[in-house]
Amino acid sequence: MRSGLSLGAAFLAASLLVGAAASRSDAGEPSTLAPPQSFAGIADPEARSAAYFTELGKVLTHPRCTNCHPAGDRPRQGDEARPHQPPVFRGADGKGLPALRCASCHRGANFDPAGLPGHPIWHLAPAEMAWEGKTVPQICAQIKDPARNGGRSPGDLIAHIGDDTLVGWAWAPGRGRSPALGTQKAARALVEAWVESGAACP
Amino acid sequence: MQLSRRDFFKQAAAGGIAITVSPFGPVQAALGVARPFLAHETLPEASGPGPVLGRIDGAAKVTGTKLYASDFRAADMPGWPPQTRHALLLRAPDATHVYEGLDLDALDPSAKPDVVVRAADLARVGVTVPPFYAGHLLCPEGETPLYLGQPVALLLFESFDAFDRARLAFRDGALLKFGPETGPQTRPNYAAYRFTRVAGAGPDAPDLYSPIQAGWISPGFTEGSGRPIWAPLPVSEGGDYAQGAAHGEAIRAELKAADPAVLTLERAFATQSVDPMFLEPEAGLAWYEPSGKVLDIVIGVQSPFEAAEAMATLFSAAQPDSRPARIDAKFAYVGGGFGGRDHTPFPLYLALAAMFFPGKPVRLAHDRFQQFQGGIKRHAFAMRSQIGVDRASGRIRAFAADHVLDGGGLANYSSSVAVVGATGAIGMYSVPKVDVTTVAEHTRGVTAGSMRGYGTLQTLTALETLIDEVATALPLDPIELRRRNALPTGGRTMTGNPFSVSVRAPEILDKLEAHPIWRDRAAHRQAARPGLLVGTGVACATKDFGTGADCALGSVTIDAEGRVAIHGDAVEMGNGIGTALANRVAAHIGRRADAVTVAQVDVFDALGLVTSGDPYAISQADQDAAARDPRWVPAISSATSASIGAHVGTQAAAEAARVVFRFGLWPAALALWGIAPRDPRGKQWRDAYWQADMLILPGLSPLPLKAIAAKAHEQGGVTGAMAHAFSRWAWAEATFALPGEDWTADIDALAIRRGSGGFERLARTSVAFPPADYNRIGTAFSSMCGTAVRVEIDRATGALTIAKAYSVFECGEVLVPQVVLGQAQGGFAMGVGYALLETLPPFEDGPGNGQWNLGRYVVARASDLPLHTLEIEVLPPLSPREPPKGMAEVVMIPVVPALLNAIHAATGHRFQSLPVTQAMIKDILA
Amino acid sequence: MTTISLTINGKAVGPLEVRDALTMNDFLREVLGMTGTKFGCGAAQCLSCAIIVDGPDGTSATTPTCVVPAVEFDGKAIRTIEGHAVDGRLTPLQTRFIEHFAFQCGYCTPGFLNEGQVLLERLEKAPVARAEVERVVAEALDGHLCRCSGYVRYHEAVRDVILADPARFLA
Repeated sequence: MRSGLSLGAAFLAASLLVGAAASRSDAGEPSTLAPPQSFAGIADPEARSAAYFTELGKVLTHPRCTNCHPAGDRPRQGDEARPHQPPVFRGADGKGLPALRCASCHRGANFDPAGLPGHPIWHLAPAEMAWEGKTVPQICAQIKDPARNGGRSPGDLIAHIGDDTLVGWAWAPGRGRSPALGTQKAARALVEAWVESGAACP
Repeated sequence: MQLSRRDFFKQAAAGGIAITVSPFGPVQAALGVARPFLAHETLPEASGPGPVLGRIDGAAKVTGTKLYASDFRAADMPGWPPQTRHALLLRAPDATHVYEGLDLDALDPSAKPDVVVRAADLARVGVTVPPFYAGHLLCPEGETPLYLGQPVALLLFESFDAFDRARLAFRDGALLKFGPETGPQTRPNYAAYRFTRVAGAGPDAPDLYSPIQAGWISPGFTEGSGRPIWAPLPVSEGGDYAQGAAHGEAIRAELKAADPAVLTLERAFATQSVDPMFLEPEAGLAWYEPSGKVLDIVIGVQSPFEAAEAMATLFSAAQPDSRPARIDAKFAYVGGGFGGRDHTPFPLYLALAAMFFPGKPVRLAHDRFQQFQGGIKRHAFAMRSQIGVDRASGRIRAFAADHVLDGGGLANYSSSVAVVGATGAIGMYSVPKVDVTTVAEHTRGVTAGSMRGYGTLQTLTALETLIDEVATALPLDPIELRRRNALPTGGRTMTGNPFSVSVRAPEILDKLEAHPIWRDRAAHRQAARPGLLVGTGVACATKDFGTGADCALGSVTIDAEGRVAIHGDAVEMGNGIGTALANRVAAHIGRRADAVTVAQVDVFDALGLVTSGDPYAISQADQDAAARDPRWVPAISSATSASIGAHVGTQAAAEAARVVFRFGLWPAALALWGIAPRDPRGKQWRDAYWQADMLILPGLSPLPLKAIAAKAHEQGGVTGAMAHAFSRWAWAEATFALPGEDWTADIDALAIRRGSGGFERLARTSVAFPPADYNRIGTAFSSMCGTAVRVEIDRATGALTIAKAYSVFECGEVLVPQVVLGQAQGGFAMGVGYALLETLPPFEDGPGNGQWNLGRYVVARASDLPLHTLEIEVLPPLSPREPPKGMAEVVMIPVVPALLNAIHAATGHRFQSLPVTQAMIKDILA
Repeated sequence: MTTISLTINGKAVGPLEVRDALTMNDFLREVLGMTGTKFGCGAAQCLSCAIIVDGPDGTSATTPTCVVPAVEFDGKAIRTIEGHAVDGRLTPLQTRFIEHFAFQCGYCTPGFLNEGQVLLERLEKAPVARAEVERVVAEALDGHLCRCSGYVRYHEAVRDVILADPARFLA
């Protein structure tokens, strides 16, 4: 029944936000992130480190992230990751062309009555940080490369993924969008574990 | 005046509910003051700043004037209570489970409706669903919705804030309760026809069989699944069908026979459902005033007269306290139509909202999600076509096709679309043997109706891609193949009649062949930049205009100062009808109108028209009997649709203008020139012409219109005329006794005004209506268009760019050249969207689920189009007297197959479905 | 609820108390009755609802109103289609739209007019080379959907206003 399904989905979303125990979405995919300690059984340190990143990759390849880490200059939109309508482009500062700036629509916060996401510094990730269409190992290599990660050290990555509020928007994207897996805190824990374990790539 | 208006509508409207509009009032210049509705709608505004050139609605549209139905609120309406209430029409996102009602308890108290209207409430009140919309207006609780997007309830709110909260709460459909799965409801198909023609031995020989001779046929039997049985069954009641079907089966047997002299191809083609996507979602404002029992409506539709009648029918047998005595309908400018606002059920829900909220002005307005969920769609077609072409001559010997249309949840125009698609399926070709079956099915999809190019867009896309494939297979140059098969002037269409308008296929083909896009196609292909595939495609179309029972109402008046005012019943939806009326009238009376009011259906009461019967189905005997009443006409007012605006929509006003000139301005001019009545020059009115506003008769001093108008008023001459015109593939023609001359014209009703008096009806002294038999014609009116396009396809990504495009068409007299070009440019854009971008999946994933908007449904933007390299050519009329022909649809059609043919030329692949997306192209290149 | 004041077409509006969830589009159309600004999609995808926001620094930009709360406009100065003509005198862009038959149904016209006007004002401050004109016009207008016209005449009209006054708009 439609009504039953919708209520179920709402419950699921709520439980995700408070970081409740692992549950599964309709598609059968896990909807939370495994904590670092769940990988303790992997004896090989490098394999374990890579496993942390593989788990984190579920976030990095989520439309909430890839839509604004697009392969080209045009962001994508929605859970279907369709090309952004209206067509908007990166522009000189990653905040849009002069005629249609990101902030024209994307204000300081989500505006749920219109289903419009927002954040004070809404912008596209730089072109060299494009993740769209890439595999988790490719993203891993990229994210470790200061030339392609905004000159960040591994420690900076903990803060970027773990504390940045625009990144954090991915877990509270407002009405009509599914949040990234798990919580930002859980993602931070994975990045920390990955960095501390030598930042191996899968 | 009021009384006669009621009398008139009693004939037309159901149950004796009168329909009127508010009287015309003076323009109040002061902004911010509620002005009479018609003051908004009469353009250009007397006080307006508009330039003399351009559209008559131009200034209003660039200054944000209230013009569209969605612009009006109660406070804008003089005499209405000032506060606007709001209605929310809830629609089912599910048509396979039992609807169990609304979960209003889950709604926040601040979002609670003040009134909830359910199916049971409609039953209690006793509404009558007009036959055209047969089906529950609201799905009863306990039943499975008939279709996705079927309305289930109407919520009425005192406050905007509560409405605003509720519409958000209901947006994902979760507050509608559904129970057990039943699967979709099944219903009989909407229409099934077979069109078969077998030509005689030579071009002049009579047909051996044709729909014109034998009438249209439908199979009498269906399988258990509801599909028609097309075989010629030897049973008595199927006799007519069996005869035609036997001819059809013989054609198919011939196509199947392996004759080495004949190239035979059989291909499937599928087209998608799309949305008209007019930019103004359907909206309206209504107020039921219970003490006077007046239902006031403000709405914008393509079919005002029909909408008013449908609303009257709705309440025709209602309980006395829910039955208006009068419906005062005000029809506004329309923010895009494309067929999607022709015979839409939306006005019925608006009327219900007002009736269930008595005394309170209420606004019903779709948002875009709701417009996708509930608005009329284009039919998806599944087609199978067979063609047999003589290899030696390149002449098409036979064509057969089977069409299945997804009609969605309500019948609407499914039957017409099936007929038009089938009878247009051989395009602009002369084919001696044709057999086409078509069936329009009920499904649980959103209702499909008439959208720009309807039927023909689908079947000609299948045909013109097939023709291209034949050309490749023979091989023969694609234009030469078309030329060898082109319909000649006087050649017969599939129904067995010739077109009664100009047939200019050879010229269109010559133009395409000579155009550099086509001529230089090989060079461009060879010169393709690395990584790009270049291909050129061409296609042609002929598209009917008119429906076979079209009419127009129009009036023209001129005051003593020489100011001209026009009223028409056609609707302005972007088509420029107001400007076309002004231009066509100006040709006769020397001045572009100072005021044009469109979408008027009841300012023509002086004509005293009555009607009866169905103009599409009436018998000759009934028509002859009815026509004895000089006030009778086959139909009173038509929808503005089927590209009929220029040809029919302006006819009544143009003929009225001729009468004003001949019997008002001309006698006045003679008086000013001092020409005695018996002077031979007194008869030379046909030789006079206008140069700006000066009337010229060679050898005499030019006269200014202002002086002539003053004289006409002084003489008590004819200073106003009002006319009705009717066309069933030919004009109704009537004779009227006018001063000094029996006047015969292509109109069937006339009233005149003398001096500053009122209109008086002139009884026609004779009339000839087009024969009832003409209803067997598929179409006799058609315009032709050809398109050539060059595309560039990125090998790696499949991205397609239209490098250059050319469309050439003919439309007789061009009333407003810029509007004609604009329609062609817009038609090109819509063709590109249909060919490459737009699609709505059927059923649960489609628009009926209420989750569709423009992020998902992609229409063509400027960046998708060759703005600077699109060339449009309009062939000049065959003669200066060739009347205007409809062109707004045909210009869209060849764009689609031309693009597919170009894609084939570039990639070697023939796509058999629409749209052809970048992903699909990328796949075949991988 | 939040109390807002703003300037619309040069006139002070407010203070008015509005719900935080009220869109600017509904504020203009339902609260103020200013329906020159249209509602097309409610999702900032057609831009028929775009208005002009005049910044304190003298720059102007369009913004859709259907996805932005009215409270965001507190203290702002905006222009709508109703505010372009002064004392009944149409702007060059309005005149050119009419002469070119740029629009048909006209429902998308407010968005195109506002976007074109902002482009003209931007070019006045930062003129471009003649060769750049088609590109900047295309870039400016591409967000706006029109279903009738095929866009050709809108683009021509904006371009022609620019080319008609090269001293003002061209580098």
